[in-house]
Amino acid sequence: MTTMVDNERLAQEIRIALAGVADPEIPAVSVLDMGMIASVTVEDGAAHVVVLPTFTGCPAVPLIRRDVAGATGSVPGVRSVSVETTFDPPWTSDRITSEGKRKLEEFGLAPPSGEGPVLIADIGLPRQARCPFCGSIKTRNENPFGPTPCRALYYCESCRNPFEQFKPV
Amino acid sequence: MSAGAETQSVSKAFVSVVTALGDDELIIGHRHSEWTGFAPHIEEDVAFSSIAQDEIGHAAAYYSLIARLTEDDADRIALGRSRAEYRHAIVCEMANGDWARTLARHWLYDHADAIRLESLEDSSNKGLAQLVAKIRREERYHLIHADTWISRVAHGPVEGRSKLTHAVTEMFWSAAALFEPFEDEDLAGAEDLLPVTSPKLQERFVAQTTATLDELGMPASVIRTGADETAEFVASSSGDLIASGNDSDSGASAAASGGGRKGRHTSDFESLWDDLTYTYRNNPGATW
Repeated sequence: MTTMVDNERLAQEIRIALAGVADPEIPAVSVLDMGMIASVTVEDGAAHVVVLPTFTGCPAVPLIRRDVAGATGSVPGVRSVSVETTFDPPWTSDRITSEGKRKLEEFGLAPPSGEGPVLIADIGLPRQARCPFCGSIKTRNENPFGPTPCRALYYCESCRNPFEQFKPV
Repeated sequence: MSAGAETQSVSKAFVSVVTALGDDELIIGHRHSEWTGFAPHIEEDVAFSSIAQDEIGHAAAYYSLIARLTEDDADRIALGRSRAEYRHAIVCEMANGDWARTLARHWLYDHADAIRLESLEDSSNKGLAQLVAKIRREERYHLIHADTWISRVAHGPVEGRSKLTHAVTEMFWSAAALFEPFEDEDLAGAEDLLPVTSPKLQERFVAQTTATLDELGMPASVIRTGADETAEFVASSSGDLIASGNDSDSGASAAASGGGRKGRHTSDFESLWDDLTYTYRNNPGATW
């Protein structure tokens, strides 16, 4: 028999384990930093983790599910694991934590700009994306699309490097 | 999917509507993907490849919604059907043709899709409404891309403007046939699965796109009159677009381009289907 306190403690340990699960396409950032974990619940050792895919067609989702299940199952006391993906609520780029944004920039990927909730009417190309290499805002969008569904292409007029931005969505 | 979706019973209308939504996205996504490696500009190679990936991803999500509720397999729905079982609008399967046709269809399709998705966010089916809310956030980029191109070409040199005008005129009613009623549309309406009927959405589509074409100085008046008033638009010596009036099939009516929702398809779909399903047919049960 487990108590509510035990369930809560296990859920917390699972969250710590999930901090070690990377986004396969952006290994510097964990699924927690990305705001992809909607909830972690435990009932009598049965863990249930709800994952929010960043983009509908993201090919990394099956890998992420597998890695989330693996990390959750590795926590002592967890007897079974179920991982659910949902679009409710829809993942939006304002779910990325400030720590996550810092790590994205360090990785060389400009974080989505803007503070607060991303409204559908506002989704578009930001006038400015900050260059992750030199910090300049003298940049221009070269393409609203990029090498993965979540990235757009920019060029920095200051350090003359091309760079990518994680799209606001 | 969410618990809400799982507790709802599966209706025939739900399967009909969501299959058609998925088929539109899969087939136009496949056509867009044919530009990978061949687009006239490297940034467009990236853009069309990415849009294709989005659309095919949306198709996979629609099929998964059905698969979960009917204990089917999303890959089977996508790739394991005969040609006549597909329910996409014929405009999605048409061969790409040149860049003007590609842009015209991209612009028309994504505006039609945006109008449809906006209405589906109020669907009585929670799983569908939630998926659509997510998809709309991604589709915003497709609209920005299409609008940028159409505006740039419409305001550019006459040769490009003339080609684009011709392509839009030629494809307009085929695109409007995206709003040919779904199979079981009456049932779907009764269940509030479709909050707005397809004919009503088609009116919105025609009003919105022709207003934009008017602003861009393209021949929306000819499109409005439909099938009987066919005319070819060519550039005059002054650079204006004038009607030359011929009997080509440009401006074909929505009725003439319809039938996709009932499984009627053209020869363009035969070769597309052969390519699309080749691996699945030859390696049943393969995973990738």
